[in-house]
Amino acid sequence: MEKKRTAAPTGRLARWIAAAAIGLMALVVGAPSAVAQGSESVEGQTYVIGTDTTFAPFEFRQNGELTGIDMDLLRAIAEDQGFEVEIRSLGFNAALAALSSNQVDGVIAGMSITDERKEIYDFSEPYFESGVQMAVAAGNDEITGYEDLEGKTVVAKTGAEGESYAKSIAEEYGFEVKSLDQSATMYESVKAGSAVAVFDDYPVLAYGIAQGNGLKTVTDKVPGGSYGFAVNKGENTALLAAFNDGLAELKANGEYQQILDSYLADPTAAAPSNFFDLLVKSIPALMTGLWHTLLVTAISFAIAMALGLVFGFMKISGNIVLRGIATTFVNIFRGTPLLLWAFMFYFGLPQLTGWEISVWTAGVLTLSLNAGAYVAEIVRGGIQSVDPGQLEASRSLGLGYGKSMQKVVIPQAFKMMTPSLINQLIISLKDSSLLLAIGFTELLYQGQQIYAANFRVTETLLIVGIIYFIAIMALTKLANYADRRFNK
Amino acid sequence: MSTVTEQSSNVKIQVKDLHKSFGSNNVLKGIDMDVREGEVVCVIGPSGSGKSTLLRCLNKLEDITSGKVVVDGFDVTDPKVDINEVRRHVGMVFQHFNLFPHMSVAENIMLAPVELKKMSKAEGRERALELLERVGLREKANARPASLSGGQKQRVAIARALAMAPGIMLFDEATSALDPEMVGEVLQVIKELADTGMTMVLVTHEMGFAREVADRVVFMADGVVCEQGAPEQLFGNPQQARTQDFLSKVL
Ligand SMILES: Nc1ncnc2c1ncn2[C@@H]1O[C@H](COP(=O)(O)OP(=O)(O)OP(=O)(O)O)[C@@H](O)[C@H]1O
Ligand SMILES: [Mg+2]
Repeated sequence: MEKKRTAAPTGRLARWIAAAAIGLMALVVGAPSAVAQGSESVEGQTYVIGTDTTFAPFEFRQNGELTGIDMDLLRAIAEDQGFEVEIRSLGFNAALAALSSNQVDGVIAGMSITDERKEIYDFSEPYFESGVQMAVAAGNDEITGYEDLEGKTVVAKTGAEGESYAKSIAEEYGFEVKSLDQSATMYESVKAGSAVAVFDDYPVLAYGIAQGNGLKTVTDKVPGGSYGFAVNKGENTALLAAFNDGLAELKANGEYQQILDSYLADPTAAAPSNFFDLLVKSIPALMTGLWHTLLVTAISFAIAMALGLVFGFMKISGNIVLRGIATTFVNIFRGTPLLLWAFMFYFGLPQLTGWEISVWTAGVLTLSLNAGAYVAEIVRGGIQSVDPGQLEASRSLGLGYGKSMQKVVIPQAFKMMTPSLINQLIISLKDSSLLLAIGFTELLYQGQQIYAANFRVTETLLIVGIIYFIAIMALTKLANYADRRFNK
Repeated sequence: MSTVTEQSSNVKIQVKDLHKSFGSNNVLKGIDMDVREGEVVCVIGPSGSGKSTLLRCLNKLEDITSGKVVVDGFDVTDPKVDINEVRRHVGMVFQHFNLFPHMSVAENIMLAPVELKKMSKAEGRERALELLERVGLREKANARPASLSGGQKQRVAIARALAMAPGIMLFDEATSALDPEMVGEVLQVIKELADTGMTMVLVTHEMGFAREVADRVVFMADGVVCEQGAPEQLFGNPQQARTQDFLSKVL
């Protein structure tokens, strides 16, 4: 099959940008020590291997540890052949970019062997035969084959082989194909009944079922592409040979099948068994996400306050140009969706300017400009709500405009603004979850990563929701306390 | 400063052919008025005749459309004049007090002297207490304005206006927003101030008070000075029909 998760073009772009960022990082840090080009023996060597971040069951994190079929196979082969591996979890496209620039020696990432790729990489023997399979809800006894799909809707992954296969037979069997982005959401929609069946990569599907996603397969797998381990063309030949030798050895001694079975057959292998277990296992990643959420919100809101003060004052200024600029700013950022700016800053701006824009920079820009527009309106409203007599009284005492604003008007305006500002802070915190669309590792993003690996969507979302709720309640209490303290 | 003998005829405020319009609304249509040092001038007239506007032109709270206003030697209409400097010589008391609600009574009074670096905080507070003593509210120094009665608020506002030791005081209907039983205490303070020789312009509806305290009464109608003179003359023997008509309604 063509590589999974071809997904939306934005996703591909994100990975290329991440690849570029990682390339730059590696340049700064210095090339890895163990680029052992074409050496005679692999024994005792250390190889740097790039892989994807999350593509269950091939590579994913469990309790912080990188695990999965690819990881287990690679480690077993390395042990068998007597070399060491240093694994870098870079993301799919980033790993390939790192390979091209010799920052890693090889890539194993559930990667299909294609003719296109064969022109730039040398592949090992296929280590996994993939293919598409159809699954339905575990309790569904009506759908037992394609002929039962007449008039029904099925889901498949955007751009993946499952989608093209489903579409190729849709007319023949008279069903409709709806495309979704993630395996986890596809499985949820089958369970929820909005689609009767899902077409997905067989290993992903099998793993999901093994994790207890509540589905069952009802058709045979349609043979598809096969996965291989890749090195740069003509380089690391010894490593490639060792991989092939080790793979053959594992297949012969049964260890290969054992590894596959542990992910694809045993339904209790890796799944967190109950809600509490899931909670304990997901908390570390979710806390990292919460920290990123709070940090990006705090930084963005501080900038938004500064922007809001400047533009808020410009909005009430007597100067028509300043007023025009401020009004334009506010209208632009209030009148367009936040997500649009996230994409614009993360994908558009680097292409327009050639600058490196990190996901943090893009996230902070997006949130602070959006919140800044609202804060500007809050500031304008706050200042205008102060009785003009206050400014007059201060001016009549001989205090200048700036001093009068600072000592008399702003303190009163700020008091009136506080509830709206707290409100905006909370909105910004919640809005920061939209940044998951550009791969910002905030709380909801971490939740997605977790259910992408264990398919327990509802429970994971419930935990994420509770964390958001507690964080926002705490923030509200804190802000109200500060309000009472300083705005007596 | 002029010589001591000429002091009483020393002109503190000079208004010449003052025009003020808001858009196409001509509110002041050529006002001429002089106020000598130590003089107490009361401005009366029907609502909308431009009394407040005139007063607010004196310290340039309103931009002046045309004409000339000289206050304490400063030409207010000169664009190069430091208006903040001028305002320090002119205290103003508003109908609605306009006390700063987020500051204590003493802080209201200290604000200008301390912020304008005329005094240290301690000196400023000392001065605030003195002024509060003068308006009979020393014990309210640490109170918030919101906890005061209307009469007390206006007395604090007067103390605040006096903080920069101005040579001129402007009052715009200082008692109009007060309950009747509180009018007296505020008028008393204003009267004491007048007795110290302060130059004052008061816009007022209190005809009895104007008659008692004013050296001169100015009757305004439709944006012009219709008639002026000593109180007993203007109230006792008004010359203009407009004045007679107005007085017959308010007295
Ligand atoms: N800021 C302003 N913008 C536009 N018009 C104004 C403004 N201030 C005053 N005016 C107008 O100027 C005219 C005179 O107002 P002003 O307040 O000076 O009258 P007044 O004699 O003080 O009346 P009152 O006894 O009711 O206080 C009124 O017609 C008023 O509507
Ligand atoms: Mg008035």
